[in-house]
Amino acid sequence: MRAVRLSLPILFITISLIYLIMIFQLPPALLGDPYAPRYFPMIVAAGILVFAVIDLINVRTENVEDNEDLAALIKKDSLKVIGVILAFCVGYALIFEWVGFLAATLLFLGALMFYLNGYRRWVLNLTVTLIFSFSSWYIFSQLLEISLP
Amino acid sequence: MSIILDGLITALQPINLLLLLLGALLGTIVGILPGLGPATGIAVLIPLTFGMEPVSALILMAAIYYGALFGGSRSSILINTPGDGSSVAATFDGYPMTKNGQAGQAMSIAAIASLFGGIMAIFGFIFLAIPLADFALNFGPAEFVLLFLFALSIVVTLSVGNTIKGFLSMFVGLGIATIGVDLQSEVQRFTLGIPELIEGIDFIVVIIGIYAIGEVLYNLFNISQPKTTDHNIGRKLFTKEQWKRSLGPIVRSGPIGFILGALPGSGGTISSLFAYSAQRSLSKKPEEYGKGKVEGLVAPESANSASAVGALIPTLTMAIPGSGATAVMLGALIMIGVTPGPLLFEDSPDLVWTLINSMFIGNIILVTLNIALVGVLMKVLHTPPKVLYPVILLLSFIGVYTLGYSTIDFYILLIAGAVGLLMRVMNYPVVPLILALIVGGDLEQEFQRSMVIYDNAFGILFASPITIVLGILTLLSIVLPLISKWLKRRNRKKQPSQSM
Repeated sequence: MRAVRLSLPILFITISLIYLIMIFQLPPALLGDPYAPRYFPMIVAAGILVFAVIDLINVRTENVEDNEDLAALIKKDSLKVIGVILAFCVGYALIFEWVGFLAATLLFLGALMFYLNGYRRWVLNLTVTLIFSFSSWYIFSQLLEISLP
Repeated sequence: MSIILDGLITALQPINLLLLLLGALLGTIVGILPGLGPATGIAVLIPLTFGMEPVSALILMAAIYYGALFGGSRSSILINTPGDGSSVAATFDGYPMTKNGQAGQAMSIAAIASLFGGIMAIFGFIFLAIPLADFALNFGPAEFVLLFLFALSIVVTLSVGNTIKGFLSMFVGLGIATIGVDLQSEVQRFTLGIPELIEGIDFIVVIIGIYAIGEVLYNLFNISQPKTTDHNIGRKLFTKEQWKRSLGPIVRSGPIGFILGALPGSGGTISSLFAYSAQRSLSKKPEEYGKGKVEGLVAPESANSASAVGALIPTLTMAIPGSGATAVMLGALIMIGVTPGPLLFEDSPDLVWTLINSMFIGNIILVTLNIALVGVLMKVLHTPPKVLYPVILLLSFIGVYTLGYSTIDFYILLIAGAVGLLMRVMNYPVVPLILALIVGGDLEQEFQRSMVIYDNAFGILFASPITIVLGILTLLSIVLPLISKWLKRRNRKKQPSQSM
């Protein structure tokens, strides 16, 4: 579990290093101080790096075994549920502009409902999918005149 | 006096009362929807004002504005999904109150807190609009740098026991805020060649990701486990005891919100977080905050509502919007022929006083409406989680899409959700990240301007009495909790040795 707990500070350290490299690759400003766009990000990168390293060191003394949420999260079943839901969400993002709001929403919401509630509750799944897909389309697209694909 | 009465008579005209009711209702609905905060709400509903008398249009926009603020806290309390930055603080104790079976009490007391905050601020507006506008003019780049640093420092200190993680979270937020074009030099930074990132990452996308998506993901891995919490939804109205505990925080937080709201660029987020932090610092039991303490809910709600009125001061007297919502309102006002500026109070007193009176009436309408809606909104909690969570995910996607009409925001939303989940599970405070993301862009711009004017950081610190005071307050806000923590630890060590 400690290894999982280490993941976030390590992620932040990695991000800060990549961020630092990108800062040095920034083109100079054409007006005023050429390095002005770099100063603030450099302070930020240093801040992330310093505090992520301290956090990494602190993990050694942290009582990670008492963290029930972390223990629940790293169970295979939890990771599977989260992975599948995120995959549905990415799928929705991919097809949203391609097939249009209504079709994409019907597919996305339907998939989520059937995955979470099972096929036996198909009446509930279909009802919720149809009602919320059409009502959200009507409210946002027709009433609020928000342009949806 | 007759001008005030004239304003009251105009505000009480049936058409204006109807517009107030309509604006309050629409604003509340829009505020409840994730992503559609006051700014988007007004922008989306601007076409309703076309062809109206300027005074009626202003009444409608103002009603949508504070209606959306009321609505924003409803979704924060009920489903831990703030509509925008200003309702983030309502999640801290509002959502735990819901989890403790006090959703109705939380929503009703939050509405009352907003009412009192709003009314205090309206009095402030009447008597202090001009002096506050003059004071706000003293805020130059250096003053804003120190104000933002002070705001960040007090929010980091909210994360007691996690100060290192709080600072880390804050710097990550500042880092995200640097993505996009640098407005001073026009250099594109960290956009990875994605055109949609040139304008930067909208903080509302991150807020919805961290809170709504993070909350759904968090609950989904607990969804199949047996429920340990009581699903008793509880009474709809707050108790006498809750009211007694709330009065002090409401009265203290209103002026904080009003003054901070009147500073251009400060807005409801800083006001509500400041008020929450101040309330927690004053408490004898700060460790009880974040677990469903009513004082922790009413303080930011009162400040948020007061800040909305305060933000109208620079908008109407200097034509400088105090928040995103008032920026949209300013544009709409100019469009309908009203010219905000120092002469507005002299040239159009009827308009100003009608607005002030309509705000009084509007706040009363809103509190009545929101308390009446408590029962309806509480039905959300009866919805089975396996139905509610897919719907929250859908609403989050739609809300985010309305902000930038780009599916790139969907991916940012999901990344923010996953990071939010990890941060929550590993006890990283997310509020410093959010506040840093909100003020980060302005902080950097003001920092760059200050560096041009004062040449170095010491110059910024000693630029004016305001910067010196803010600098000292920033330092104290970081050092005092550390000293208090050190003293507590020392006393704890001493006690066993004394008993021996």
